[in-house]
Amino acid sequence: MKKTIGFSVNGNSVEVEVRPHWPLLRVLRDELELTGAKPGCGEGECGACTVLVDGIAVNSCIYPVLEVEGREVATIEGLADKDNRLHPIQQAFLDKAGVQCGFCTPGMIMSVKALLEENLNPTEDQIRHAVAGNMCRCTGYVQIIESVRHAAGLMSQSKE
Amino acid sequence: MGDLFVGKSHARVDTEKVTGRAEFINDIKLPRMLYGKILYSDRPHARIKNIDTSAAEKLPGVRAVLTGFNTPDVPVGFLGDQKALKKDKVRQYRDEVAAVAAVDEDIAEEAIDLIKVEYEDLPTVFDPKEALKKDAPLIHEFDARGKPRRNNILPLPWKLTAGDVDAARDAAAYTVKDEFSTTWVHQACMGTSGGIAHFDTNNNLIFRSVTNVPFGGKDRLDMFLKNCKISGQTRVLTPFVGGSFGSKLDTDIYEFILVLLAWETKCPVKIIFSRKEEFVASPPRQPTIATVEHGCDKDGKLTFRHVDMLLDNGAYTSWGATTPSVMMTSMSSLYRVPNIHYVATCVYTNNIYAQAMRGYGNPQSTFVIEQSMDQLAEEAGIDPMEFRRINANVPDEVTPMGLKITTCPLAECLDEVEKKLDWKNKHGAEGARGVGVASFIHVGGGARVYLSDGQGIILKADDEGKITMITGGTDQGQGSETIIRQMVAEATGFRPDDVNIFLGDTDVCPWDVGTHASRHAFITGHAILLAAEDFKRKILDLAATWMQNLIQANFKRKARRDPDFEIPQLDYVPLSNPDNLEIQNGAVFLKDDPENKHLRLKVSQILRKAHMVGTGKGEMVISEAFYDPPNEMLDREGKGNLSCCYTFGTHGVEVEVDTETGQVTILKYVAAHDVGRAINPMLVDGQIFGASVMGTGYGLTEEILVQDGRVMNPNLLDYKMLTAKDKIPMESVIIEPIEPTGPFGAKGIGEPACVPSAPAIANAIYDAVGVRIKDLPITPEKILAALKEKKAGD
Amino acid sequence: MRTFEYLKPVTVQEALDLLDRYGEKARLIAGGTDAMVMWKQKKISPDFFISLRNVTDLNSIKVQGDLTIGSGTTHRSLELSPEIRKDFPVITDAVVNLGSVQVRNSATIGGNICTAAPSADTAPPLLVLETMVNIIASKGGRSVPIDEFFTGPSQTVLEPGEIVTDFHIARPLPNTGMAYWKHTRRKAMDLPILGVAALISFEDDLKTCKKVRIGLGVAAPTPMRAKQAEAFLEGKVLEAGVLEEAGKIAVGEAQPRTSVRGSEWYRKELIGVLLKRVALICQERAKGAADK
Repeated sequence: MKKTIGFSVNGNSVEVEVRPHWPLLRVLRDELELTGAKPGCGEGECGACTVLVDGIAVNSCIYPVLEVEGREVATIEGLADKDNRLHPIQQAFLDKAGVQCGFCTPGMIMSVKALLEENLNPTEDQIRHAVAGNMCRCTGYVQIIESVRHAAGLMSQSKE
Repeated sequence: MGDLFVGKSHARVDTEKVTGRAEFINDIKLPRMLYGKILYSDRPHARIKNIDTSAAEKLPGVRAVLTGFNTPDVPVGFLGDQKALKKDKVRQYRDEVAAVAAVDEDIAEEAIDLIKVEYEDLPTVFDPKEALKKDAPLIHEFDARGKPRRNNILPLPWKLTAGDVDAARDAAAYTVKDEFSTTWVHQACMGTSGGIAHFDTNNNLIFRSVTNVPFGGKDRLDMFLKNCKISGQTRVLTPFVGGSFGSKLDTDIYEFILVLLAWETKCPVKIIFSRKEEFVASPPRQPTIATVEHGCDKDGKLTFRHVDMLLDNGAYTSWGATTPSVMMTSMSSLYRVPNIHYVATCVYTNNIYAQAMRGYGNPQSTFVIEQSMDQLAEEAGIDPMEFRRINANVPDEVTPMGLKITTCPLAECLDEVEKKLDWKNKHGAEGARGVGVASFIHVGGGARVYLSDGQGIILKADDEGKITMITGGTDQGQGSETIIRQMVAEATGFRPDDVNIFLGDTDVCPWDVGTHASRHAFITGHAILLAAEDFKRKILDLAATWMQNLIQANFKRKARRDPDFEIPQLDYVPLSNPDNLEIQNGAVFLKDDPENKHLRLKVSQILRKAHMVGTGKGEMVISEAFYDPPNEMLDREGKGNLSCCYTFGTHGVEVEVDTETGQVTILKYVAAHDVGRAINPMLVDGQIFGASVMGTGYGLTEEILVQDGRVMNPNLLDYKMLTAKDKIPMESVIIEPIEPTGPFGAKGIGEPACVPSAPAIANAIYDAVGVRIKDLPITPEKILAALKEKKAGD
Repeated sequence: MRTFEYLKPVTVQEALDLLDRYGEKARLIAGGTDAMVMWKQKKISPDFFISLRNVTDLNSIKVQGDLTIGSGTTHRSLELSPEIRKDFPVITDAVVNLGSVQVRNSATIGGNICTAAPSADTAPPLLVLETMVNIIASKGGRSVPIDEFFTGPSQTVLEPGEIVTDFHIARPLPNTGMAYWKHTRRKAMDLPILGVAALISFEDDLKTCKKVRIGLGVAAPTPMRAKQAEAFLEGKVLEAGVLEEAGKIAVGEAQPRTSVRGSEWYRKELIGVLLKRVALICQERAKGAADK
């Protein structure tokens, strides 16, 4: 039985017809064509599908879509500003090579965003803890940590 | 060549990836596209008695249901020992038995569940040693040509010999001999496999593929089409790829199935593997069983190496069976060994089969060689680091395999590791801590595994001063787009931001053999240098023709606008000789007067003028090059200079072993790498860190658990890839001997750093607690069991 | 097409009414991190999922000496709670590495306990805390001590129509230290090969065990208490030989098996080793609390 739900994505209100068994990831990718969040495992193990719901990071591949009704979803597509200027986290991942193949990147960056919104000066352990649920096969995580540090620096600067 | 851009840690250029706009195969939708799903067998070895697809066919939304019974009987695979859809029997769990295409994924999945297959079980064999025996069940009754087979041994008798191993053994002062094994591990790319196939109105196949060998893939698909009596040709398009690590070098069965589904439905059909399918149906790294013997003289100089290897080939053949050809490199040339005997036998079993994975056999061979080296060092009473130094390869030597070593800073790599690990104090120290080391040799300048090791590129300039480089290569995430911009800018005098790259279309791009063997930067770099030479010459010729004219025209325009402006008196004569001119940072100027602010022009102005000059005289700048390196294919004896140069390195690890649980903590990891010259040091580090973590997983935690032919852990929870919390304190040391055969002095780096990790860790564990684990992965259970055994024996 | 209806009650009463109405066709879901995966794997196929996510009454942490945790409290809330970290750190130990931040943001303690996997990380801690599980149904409520709650792998005493509302934990005795150790192959995104929780209330000398509770995960078909080992340790001074013996007793009581995730013999080894280590952490923590 299809149901129409309304929620907000990257600041835009949307109304979508969904089937209850669809996870949020499928609705974002197939109905709203926001293909940034990726299907890596379908079981909440790899984090490639990470988006923010009301500011908190979730695995959208196992997030029942009806739970997002009335809520605010933030995806990677909403990070750069209207003039295509990259968010500091996105810039940092390029500057410090936190991105290689790019498949884990959208989910990784959203987890990092959730972390830095809470804590603009995380230790290495805190960074690793925050992205423990974002698997990356390419980088070995080292340059991801450096990118997050760099992003924190850029974000702190812009606050001053 | 200068280092304006090359040698700098230029930021990555892939803005599409950080904005979520990069299109991976999962993200592509075509009009009228259908979704394909595959039914796999649930038996390891059985005759197919009947496949009932009637219920599936009737399901609304299903557009095709295919089996081996309603599709052409065409052999695929490099030994031709497989069919896309199995008809006579299944030889492994995950044999593809049927496929459907439907209007959505849910319906396709439902249809698969409705297909009923009747099997008649056959005797199985899962142990490769058992499969060798005369009375073992035959996995393949016939070979690709229809001749009856007498046993399960593949017609791939890998062998490399040099000198006289038997004599050397008799004369050796010290010898060691032991058995080692490595098991299946998975590339486990974050992006699972997938493709989209459709036919155009001329029966040409357009295939969107995640392949790293678009032209090789095209060849195989063309052959498949021909054998299916389809008249068209293949065009391969490659989108962004979510990692590869060797998993995308063959044409997989699902790709042939896609072709069949697309042909049957006359619609585009997409298949994307679930994570479970990725583990079960995308072949992993080749497992090995090896008996290794080493001998040395009384001074510790190696005199012989004898390795006998057995490869579980699984049910069918992919690139796993060719890993011995790469293993020969380390078998014959890791350290200086005059007498070599290496034999590898591949045998069919009812297990899963293997394909290429980063390192392509080198991690396996280095694991066995480097542990045995440590054993021999101990036997000879020589410190393992010193032992390696005694036997280290040196520059400008030819190895017993015929590899022509050029630059070789292996001694320096050993020194760096020794220093940074505080080896002298830590090795042999008391307590459950220890240090271990392992080195490697790998191809660094391409590898002639096919008749051609070439790549073609085209450089095309436009009036805005931008260059588009059209290349047949592909990227798997390592950052080739970034370093290509650096190299093109350096070689042409333009700027990195001026460079665009077009790749991923076999109709448009010049031929490339593939992104494998760590060859991409090396071969592409050379192609760029070749093409850029022509490109620059053409531009400077045009500059020589037009610069005076353009500068004077600019002055006249200025004078018209500003009556006070005085046109300077300049000597324009030098400008008319292209040999006096240079391009850098997108501007043309006089070599002898680079600061002169009048006698310089943006290259775009020259290009525009040359293009727009008028009737019959317009010119555009396009240059092309096809670079085929001066390396050799191996001869019948497995000998030849396979690559233009070789890369070396050493990894050293300090570990602490928890003797009550067997758990290993890595306290320090040092990776010293010979890269010739780092085109982009930050990206080189990225390869070193990423591959070292992958290698550590290979050593300690990763394995595909196969029980009676079935994969027991096909998910990311139970397949233990390291996470961000599994911190390894890692340091990379980049050593740059500046390779004369390399573009800008560079060698390849994509694979090597996952090669020595496992043996370095194994050797460190031995130093720490005196147990040597000879099969991978080195789990806490194995260490604990060995410690108990050791204690009982003491 | 295989699908389900997804219902979002906002009160416990509404949830109970829905459960009664749909009976066997319905299944409760909270964070969904287990349920959605099981549904995808075709292990469960209810016609109705009744979500407890929006029943905000179930999402609460009340520390007043004793502790009451609403069943709908996410692991992330527990992880970030300073009161729990201070007074009930065995729970913090359980959740800090459970899944990932993404999983913990959705998954609930109620879900973890009611899904009742032998590997449930919150189970050994709740066992050693002698938690009371408060259950409600239309026909009335009941309370079940947690060590009677699990009846088999993924099986509990819950009957159709029942919802776990909260977990109640009595205030610990003075001089109490508690800890949970989860033994895994990698440091995140992992289920325990073996999990050991312990709670030790010491005499004032901080060496003699007055009350000992030991919880084991993945050591039996259900999370279990090692009651014989507990009885052995009570009254004794905590030292190496005593702990060694307690470990052996605990191994005797446990029934670990060999699975894809670990072998029987290794699990048996770990019980002894980890019990010893966790007991010593308890002692450290009891000392630390006494110092304050």
